[in-house]
Amino acid sequence: MGDVSRRRFLQYSGASALAAMTTNLTMQDVARAASASPLPLGTPILVVVTLYGGNDGLNTVVPYADPIYSSSRPGISLSDAQVIPLARGLALNSSMTGFKSLWDQNRLAIVLGASYPQPNHSHFTSMAIWQTASPNKQISSGWIGRWLDGQPRDPMRAIGMGSVLTPLLAGEHRVASMLPLGGLVVPTGTLATQTQQLAMVSPTDSVLAADASASIGDFYQVAATVQPVLKSQAPNAPNALAQQLDVVANLIAANVPTRVWSVTLGGFDTHADELRAQSQLVGSVSDAVTNFLTKMDATARARDVVVLVYSEFGRRVQANASLGTDHGTSGPVFIAGHRVAGGFYGEQPSLSQLVSGDLAVTSDFRDVYASMLQDVLGTDATQIMPGWTTKLNLITP
Amino acid sequence: MRAVHDRLVISRLVHRFSFGPKPGQYEYLVREGVTTARNRLLRTPAHDAGLASVVDPGLVDLGPFPPSKSTARAIFQQALSQQFSAMTLWWLDRMVLADYPLIERMTWFWHGHWATSISKVVYPLPMKVQNETMRLYGLGSFAGLARAMVVDGALIYWLDGQLNVAQAPNENLGREFMELFTLGVGNYSEDDVKAVAAAFTGYRVTTSNGLVTFQPSVHDYSPLAILGATAPFVAPSLSDYVVSLDANAAFVAQRLWFRFVSTTTSVPTTLVKGFANRDVRSLVEAIARHPAMKDPRHAQAKSPVEWFVSACRALQITPSNLPSTVTVANYLSLMGQVPFAPPSVGGWPYDEAWLTAASFQYRLAFATYLVKNGDLSPVVNASNDVNRSLANWLGVAKWSPRTTQAFSEAQGDPARLALLALCAPEYVVNA
Repeated sequence: MGDVSRRRFLQYSGASALAAMTTNLTMQDVARAASASPLPLGTPILVVVTLYGGNDGLNTVVPYADPIYSSSRPGISLSDAQVIPLARGLALNSSMTGFKSLWDQNRLAIVLGASYPQPNHSHFTSMAIWQTASPNKQISSGWIGRWLDGQPRDPMRAIGMGSVLTPLLAGEHRVASMLPLGGLVVPTGTLATQTQQLAMVSPTDSVLAADASASIGDFYQVAATVQPVLKSQAPNAPNALAQQLDVVANLIAANVPTRVWSVTLGGFDTHADELRAQSQLVGSVSDAVTNFLTKMDATARARDVVVLVYSEFGRRVQANASLGTDHGTSGPVFIAGHRVAGGFYGEQPSLSQLVSGDLAVTSDFRDVYASMLQDVLGTDATQIMPGWTTKLNLITP
Repeated sequence: MRAVHDRLVISRLVHRFSFGPKPGQYEYLVREGVTTARNRLLRTPAHDAGLASVVDPGLVDLGPFPPSKSTARAIFQQALSQQFSAMTLWWLDRMVLADYPLIERMTWFWHGHWATSISKVVYPLPMKVQNETMRLYGLGSFAGLARAMVVDGALIYWLDGQLNVAQAPNENLGREFMELFTLGVGNYSEDDVKAVAAAFTGYRVTTSNGLVTFQPSVHDYSPLAILGATAPFVAPSLSDYVVSLDANAAFVAQRLWFRFVSTTTSVPTTLVKGFANRDVRSLVEAIARHPAMKDPRHAQAKSPVEWFVSACRALQITPSNLPSTVTVANYLSLMGQVPFAPPSVGGWPYDEAWLTAASFQYRLAFATYLVKNGDLSPVVNASNDVNRSLANWLGVAKWSPRTTQAFSEAQGDPARLALLALCAPEYVVNA
């Protein structure tokens, strides 16, 4: 069903159909009812995991074999017993057993030393650069948002978990929908028809008033699609990221027509007492992503899903006096999934040849994005990142 | 035509320099005209009966954490969360009840500017001390505010300043001081960050009350080269110096412009020039008088707290008197904005970020709760021109035909009309 016919479907079915969908459905019914236009099997899906605060790459993918690593970080370097060796003198933080299993299955790619030329040490500037994919010019649209701009208008096309819009998901003309984590409460009866009236376009609207109005329409459209799925499964996961990925897994399994999902986790700004906190955080990322992919394995979507994990920067090589690290530059990016060609990409930045005390940049994150756009979303990456013509080949056809 | 412009300008003044009208206020201000309305809204008289009615939560210093797993610890945790709830409701009550809310509006602005979160500070008392500092200096000299903030216990602790010692500096506070609080990105180098971190060494915080002490033995007394000056600096002298730079006037003026007028345009240079003396009140008044206030392009979305407070003012609700204050905290949290808990030192998001499908769901549910507990007499007693009555009640310049159509479907149902009006795009977004 195309975009226009779906809108008609909503228009004619109205609130009573919303209510009807919530009763006694099997998973198969849900899959059918969940979407007026289910995503065809075999359509690639991208799940973007944003880690806020600047994850310490050196305590995530650890250059444990280099003596400079432990000598630079008294009190916060991981011992040989606290790492899981991979190859090339690099190891994972021992909390990341899930990622190790993905690595062993050749389903985890690690892009080393990823950032952009002249990395910025500000959380906000650097995160804006990663989310807009624009290091040289300050722009307001996110890279997924610009991809959305080239897609037919459909509030299901890209979805972020939470209530506040992530800049990544805002395009020039389109924005992704945000999905509340606590489940959906959908109005019925006259309240439904009257609030849907508020979603009608008005020529007198400012850009923002039109956005406010559109968000109401998006809510009803998204609700019609996802409510049965969310209702049928209560969230049962150990942490914020796992909860978000749980909902995503259920919705993907129900064939909702969503190509890009965005989930987030904060708390990585470890200026003080970082050793235990950071290990726990990367451990929870590893667990959540691995469990998510394991869930996908039980569906027909296993080969469709690719997960991308990044943070706005790594941290300084040298520890500070507070058993933490200050803002740094490059760090590892993870890409996981069945179609991912596992292994290292790029070079681990040297610990002896630092650039003003920071790691050199050995990979450009835009090469990763180009691969996601081209090989997962099937879009010409130069349309989204003008002038960027290179990419990594880390997705197998 | 003047009347149409007046409605727009006064709607902006009353929603951006105040927290929305109390019942009858907008109609009255429109009748008086823009100049009188502006003068009224910019006043901050020493005595404000609304503010005077809000009782200070009287937070006491809870002292150090008792040992974990002890009964004392459990009681202590309870006291912490009671204090947090009392402090949050105290501030929300102030915003709602103020007769002259500009000073609360400024405190709210500065809270987003020097964004500090209870999530790390943990103790409410230092957050309250910081809040009072921002209120005290909120319309005064920015130099005075900055000088007070660099020795503010909550801010220092939030940005690891208490760990920042000459022997091994922690850059967190120094970097954010220049990037987010005084100069903006691009107006300093990485070397400046290191030098400012050195100037900020030696300040220690008592976490339970925010008391800051200076410890000379861990302060870096060496001459520091910072943005063109070389001298030994301590935090207040460093702050004075940085604030004296031209880039500071442009940066702070832009931040105010961003939150009061437009997130998409630059502050006019005349306003920056006028801010040479760093007097915040004159700058705020100049912004309120600026012709841009009637430029139709400058719509702004209300943040969740701004929306909630303005709804309470319209519905004559005192937040702390609501039957379930936990419900208030939950909805604000779901909508993504809890006072004293900004998501990061960068402060709150703006505009489109608040206008998502998810936020509509929570806004509608929250509005339903507020309407149930509010005074609907302005809607019950609406004139025959219901659209006009609702617009005047909420300080909306004009409803769109889409929204008046929704109102007509809810005719004769005051609660429903109020609910639709509070969730209408023209109310959620200040035109």
